[in-house]
Amino acid sequence: MAKRAFLTLIVVLLLFLGILPVLSMLVKSLVVQGNFSLASYGSVLTSGRQWTLMWHSAALSSMVTLLTLVIGTPLGILLAESDMPFRRFFTILFVIPLLLPPYFMAVSWFDLLGRQGLLAQIAGPVATRITSDLLFGLPGCVLVLFSVFLPIPMLLTMVFLGTINPRLQEAGRLVSDWKGILKSITVPLILPGIMLSAMLVFILAFGEFSVPNFLRYDVFPVESFTQFSAFYDFKAATAAAVPLVVVTLLLMFAESVFLRENTYQIRPSQEAVHSPRIELGSHLKWLLSLVTALAFIIVIVPVLVLAVQSAHTEAYIQALDYAGKSLLRSLAYAFIAATLLVSLGFFTGYLVQKKALWCWRFVDSSLLFLFALPSTVIGIGLISLWNTRWTNFVYATPAIIIIGYLAKYTALTSRISVTGLAQVPPSMEEAAQVAGAGWFRRIFYILIPLAGPTLLAGWLVGYIFSLRDTGITMLVYPPGHETLPVRIFTLMANGSPQLVAALCILMIAAILVPGGLLAALATRMKYKVNS
Amino acid sequence: MKIVELDSVSKSYGNERALDKISLGIEQGERIVILGPSGCGKTTIMRLVAGFIPPDSGIVSIAGKIVSRDGKIIVPPRKRGVGMVFQDLALWPHMSVKANIEFGLKAKGFGKPERQKMIRDMLELVGMLEYMDRKPAELSGGQQQRIALARALVLEPKVLLMDEPLSSLDLDLNIRLRKEIIRLHDKLGFTMLYVTHDRDEATDIATRIITMKQGRIDLS
Ligand SMILES: Nc1ncnc2c1ncn2[C@@H]1O[C@H](COP(=O)(O)OP(=O)(O)OP(=O)(O)O)[C@@H](O)[C@H]1O
Ligand SMILES: [Mg+2]
Repeated sequence: MAKRAFLTLIVVLLLFLGILPVLSMLVKSLVVQGNFSLASYGSVLTSGRQWTLMWHSAALSSMVTLLTLVIGTPLGILLAESDMPFRRFFTILFVIPLLLPPYFMAVSWFDLLGRQGLLAQIAGPVATRITSDLLFGLPGCVLVLFSVFLPIPMLLTMVFLGTINPRLQEAGRLVSDWKGILKSITVPLILPGIMLSAMLVFILAFGEFSVPNFLRYDVFPVESFTQFSAFYDFKAATAAAVPLVVVTLLLMFAESVFLRENTYQIRPSQEAVHSPRIELGSHLKWLLSLVTALAFIIVIVPVLVLAVQSAHTEAYIQALDYAGKSLLRSLAYAFIAATLLVSLGFFTGYLVQKKALWCWRFVDSSLLFLFALPSTVIGIGLISLWNTRWTNFVYATPAIIIIGYLAKYTALTSRISVTGLAQVPPSMEEAAQVAGAGWFRRIFYILIPLAGPTLLAGWLVGYIFSLRDTGITMLVYPPGHETLPVRIFTLMANGSPQLVAALCILMIAAILVPGGLLAALATRMKYKVNS
Repeated sequence: MKIVELDSVSKSYGNERALDKISLGIEQGERIVILGPSGCGKTTIMRLVAGFIPPDSGIVSIAGKIVSRDGKIIVPPRKRGVGMVFQDLALWPHMSVKANIEFGLKAKGFGKPERQKMIRDMLELVGMLEYMDRKPAELSGGQQQRIALARALVLEPKVLLMDEPLSSLDLDLNIRLRKEIIRLHDKLGFTMLYVTHDRDEATDIATRIITMKQGRIDLS
């Protein structure tokens, strides 16, 4: 009984935090002076501008999806299965851009290729004119978002490869070389993972606003944000956000139809030493050069540029002076949000994994929907719900930021909890039940310790995603409560490049140092549990 | 000439010695059954012969040719002429029965008409012709077993490795398939290395039984 009541409470909380704001936004946009009306949509749907926006959004997200998939999937296979050296190192390196606020990469490329960039000092203004024109527009956006989202197909490929029963590949090795196995066995088996990553990248690229905004490429999220922040036109902002809701829903529908059909029974392999390695042989040299070159172009060079640009002590003194408080706030909010995210994620994950309430599928889909929904939409929704005289105690405090993070990122911690819980045999909980332990006791003494390493990983993911969030925070932060990514974003327009670069480097350190420590800790915990 | 020969082969996983200086010769056409308790190293022997892992020390030869020695795999699995039925069968779930059998034929470069004929003959032999277009998940345990056999045998391997192939089936079916396996063996004349921990199954199938204990051949 305690279990049902508590889980119901969690569902209500979820509705309240995430779904209600979006509904409230939709309803408000349909009511004009007390009457139902489509007036807000009138201008939106008739103007030619909408078609431009639609075209831009579609072009950007499809190109980014295609590119990340075509390169990320083979990269994942290479890093997971081949005998290429430095695989771990490359994996970590390629993941870095995903961990940072996406526009950092844009800032860095601007510092390199922009009119006053580093390249201009070397190659002269004519060359940079061309590069700068390319950067500001579709090619620049594709490049930046490609580097940011490449880790998604790469990591998902690696994860799915890990779940393939290695016997299936060994059965292939008896008759075929690795190319044949790859083509006919491995890739078809990880196809659901590839599809999933395609959908994720498309959705994230579609909803991304900070990069196109900085590189002045007009897409829906930018339009929606501009309407809201520059013109204070709430209704137009909402109307521009609705196509985003529709596209998100369509994609989720496609996913449910397509992916459910194509998921084979895959099970986690438990072997310590597993999976046949692909022996690259004579291919090793050029593949290794290619991977190294890619790492240089999309990770090492951008980070180096920021480091070089910021290499003045004054820049860092000024940075701490300008934004030291924002940095502390960022860390504090991310810490609180991660803790709440992992708690909420654990219980929704439990609900979904055990199918504990009839509405488990709804909960799972809602979370995914909120994650897929562009940040600007969630931000506008939250404002529409909480910006009233009676709810100022939330709206005027950092609580609204935390609520935004919970709405958007619980999907991540929830999915991670599902994976963690799936690895705990049901008999463990049942044994405790037979021994007379109530539900809360079973949760705290059996499940949480057993799922411990996974929960730590969930915390880490929640922490990083809260820390790097720009879209939601930008819209909802109360005056005087801005976080570091927002502070940097607003400084970009008029701050010196040195200062901005220094702030970016500080932020990178704030993300990577605790991230690295915790990841190491989680690995060690996992090792202990397994041995 | 021995068709499979292990010469003083050892294999460790970390500190754990899975095989300790095993020597073993198998004659053409024999049905050798390796019998032993769980964890004694039976699967490890199979994987050494198949070429998935190299021995830490010692020599593995097939048909008089050294295929791996002292930590090195010299001949990769696909060139050893070895077929294998895995304990969990490892039928490819995304392929039809036909495609499962065809995969190896394609890899070996057989033309389409040839492949068709070989697949039909093989399926006929295991009595599964009418199931050609099903997916493995649409077959019963015993049927899957036959397909796994067909897949392993279609390339006419010199050696067939079978790692507890019947252990997941109920006793009735288990006994029926033992007969089937012997029938196929008599008809096709391959050499068979068969692993089980069931003494009855071993005596039924074997022309020779080898008992193992803790990584060694038990001579007592
Ligand atoms: N990949 C591996 N990593 C570490 N140790 C292993 C691995 N494979 C086998 N071992 C160890 O080597 C020993 C022999 O294992 P093997 O799988 O050959 O046993 P088996 O006789 O086939 O047992 P069973 O009847 O249970 O299948 C066991 O102690 C096992 O723990
Ligand atoms: Mg075994």
